[in-house]
Amino acid sequence: MSLAPGWHPVALSGSIDPGTSAGTHLDGREYVVWRDNSGVAHVWEDRCPHRGMKLSFGFVRGDHIACLYHGWQYDTAGRCRYIPAHPDLDVPATITVPVFATVETCGMIWTTTDAAPNRAAPPADPGEAMAVTTLYADIGPLAFLDAVRALPPQPFIPGDPEPQLSQIDGALWRLTAGGDVLLLGMQRLNDVRSALHVVIAGSASTYAGAGQSHVFAWTRALRHRLATVPAKSEATHAEAV
Amino acid sequence: MALVLYNYDLDENCYKVRLALSMLKLEHETIAVNAFPGREQETPPFLALNPMGTLPILKDGEQTLFGAEAVLAHLARTHDPAGTWLPVEGEAFAAVMQWLFFASGDLSAAGRARANALFGPPGDETALRAAARRAIMAMEDVMVANGFRAREWFADERHTIADVALFPAFALSRDFGVDHDEFPALRKWARRFRAIPGFLTMPGIPDYH
Ligand code: FES
Repeated sequence: MSLAPGWHPVALSGSIDPGTSAGTHLDGREYVVWRDNSGVAHVWEDRCPHRGMKLSFGFVRGDHIACLYHGWQYDTAGRCRYIPAHPDLDVPATITVPVFATVETCGMIWTTTDAAPNRAAPPADPGEAMAVTTLYADIGPLAFLDAVRALPPQPFIPGDPEPQLSQIDGALWRLTAGGDVLLLGMQRLNDVRSALHVVIAGSASTYAGAGQSHVFAWTRALRHRLATVPAKSEATHAEAV
Repeated sequence: MALVLYNYDLDENCYKVRLALSMLKLEHETIAVNAFPGREQETPPFLALNPMGTLPILKDGEQTLFGAEAVLAHLARTHDPAGTWLPVEGEAFAAVMQWLFFASGDLSAAGRARANALFGPPGDETALRAAARRAIMAMEDVMVANGFRAREWFADERHTIADVALFPAFALSRDFGVDHDEFPALRKWARRFRAIPGFLTMPGIPDYH
């Protein structure tokens, strides 16, 4: 079974520094998100072909990621290039990690498992984006969005008071509140847990510091609501559709 | 030698003191204590030094101290001429105190969850893990907020003993089943912490820099 079609956010761009890696999930499957030292982001299956160690536990050396367990190193195409126990070995080209198309847009790192010919374009980049945080909750995407509708942010920049939530791509939502535009990337981690990546579509001169803190405080209030107000189950949503 | 540390290598509280001794470049003697499986720290010679039977214990000349956070404060106050590891001016002093007490209070669930997972003493593993996760989430929230004002450390513009007291619980959290995926601000902070001169690892914390 492959991933739902389309592009999926897996991290805020700023959460993965050059030369670092982190694990994540999409639809219950494990992925490693890593950035090589030249700054390019990669999303791979989080499993070393040698003995199955999570590559997200490993470390980045230049443009290779090395497994923590026995140090096998993989290049940016996912091909094993170096096996420390056999330093002189010309590593067979068959030892590879499944790699997935990766782009950065809207202040987030995105991936898809769709094959190139029928792959949709990733969400368009709005220009300047200020990352806020990723909010995690034991809840499905629909219930997550319900909570956003039920508790919209107070605007940082005053404007039209009526908040608007609209889907602009499969996993990308646009939330306007007053003069603010937020981009919400919805990541379905597994059957019971989701992540909401929150980015301000706006300039650093307007939002750096106080504006980011303002939106961050909203995400904490949202988390509190999710922890205290019971959500409609995803099944209820499915019946309603 | 003036400084003597009674140490067990797998104890994260002893690790806090080893980190401080190394980062402050302090010559010291280390006495290995057979904490597991021997529970040597709970025998009379050690109870004479610390009636609670815990590690670490530090001797500095005539003075004997137990409790990692108290030891950190002592080392910083008496062996850091620049005074940056334990600032005494302004807001930073109370901020360091807050995080030291947090480390020995709320965050100690992490140490107990880990001891439970590794050495199997009695304890409610689920409750301990939940309490540890909650404390680590609080740390993540604070470091996200600090990031919005370009502050890279917990208590001050510069790293302090607060960061030393907080690091082991996060770095070792996989030992009790809390992985780092959902804590990006702490991942970045831990990476900065690893770059402090004198940083050292312990079993369970990979050395890859
Ligand atoms: S499991 Fe990755 S190198 Fe052995």
